[in-house]
Amino acid sequence: MSGTGERKKMTCAEFQEVLPYTFENGGDAGEMEHLKTCQICSDLVQDLRYIADQAKLLLPLRDPSPKVWDNIQDSLEREGLIRPQAKAHSAGKKKVAEIGNRVIGSSGDRVK
Amino acid sequence: MSSKRAAAPGFSEAEAIEQAKGGDAYAFEQLYGLHKRRVYSLCLRMTGNTAEAEDLTQEAFLQLYRKIGTFRGESAFSTWLHRLSVNVVLMHLRKKGLPEVSLEETLEPQQEDGPKKDIGARDTVLAGSIDRVNLERAIENLPPGYRIIFVLHDIEGYEHNEIAEMMGCSIGNSKSQLHKARMKLRDLLKQSKAEKAVRR
Repeated sequence: MSGTGERKKMTCAEFQEVLPYTFENGGDAGEMEHLKTCQICSDLVQDLRYIADQAKLLLPLRDPSPKVWDNIQDSLEREGLIRPQAKAHSAGKKKVAEIGNRVIGSSGDRVK
Repeated sequence: MSSKRAAAPGFSEAEAIEQAKGGDAYAFEQLYGLHKRRVYSLCLRMTGNTAEAEDLTQEAFLQLYRKIGTFRGESAFSTWLHRLSVNVVLMHLRKKGLPEVSLEETLEPQQEDGPKKDIGARDTVLAGSIDRVNLERAIENLPPGYRIIFVLHDIEGYEHNEIAEMMGCSIGNSKSQLHKARMKLRDLLKQSKAEKAVRR
């Protein structure tokens, strides 16, 4: 048989060398062929896909501490970006929520 | 994300943006309340440090409020804010002089930190064995250069061309760094899986 139609089989090292650049689109025929016949590289790709998929499911972690907003508000006031009376409105709203929560206690929904 | 999301009952995000442009503190607070968790999480995952993440969240929102008058609604507000926050973090890291975000070549962590090629050794696959806590911990333990690319691409959904533009590196470099990050994560997760098995 002439060698023109035969493709030299890819080694694991060659496959893993190009993997960063072909991971998203699946690679060419030679890479696909290697993946079909090599359990080590197949496991590797499966793991990397699994990690990427799991990462997409991660949710935002948590809220910053309340002091972050306090600092922002102080800076905004200093820079004149917010109207001071509006801050009073916001503080008043917090006070109402605090009073509401005290009245409701642990039996009802929290007022935010 | 839609700009029609609710900022408060009867107060849409679009309305909050308009009110904030006029200096309404309550509208500012509403916008902060809507987006603080996502911005803070981004900062925390990129820096791996709580205090730094809080400072950067503060800086991101201050920049947002300073620039809110220029927001024209051509992209979603959350996209705009998110991009602004990423830039704040990257700028901070550059100022700190961390090599991983200054020059393309130095994006490479030290060789001993890097993942090894997986040739000639078969191990069990990870599928089904990762929980959220393990993955978060492993991400925290990534070298900073790897962590930034992984967070931007795999968690935050940026494309390689966007990352390359933001980081001032090539698309190929972004792909290569992401691959190394995933390989390193695989090592870390396998290690944690093995340790868990020993404890049982």
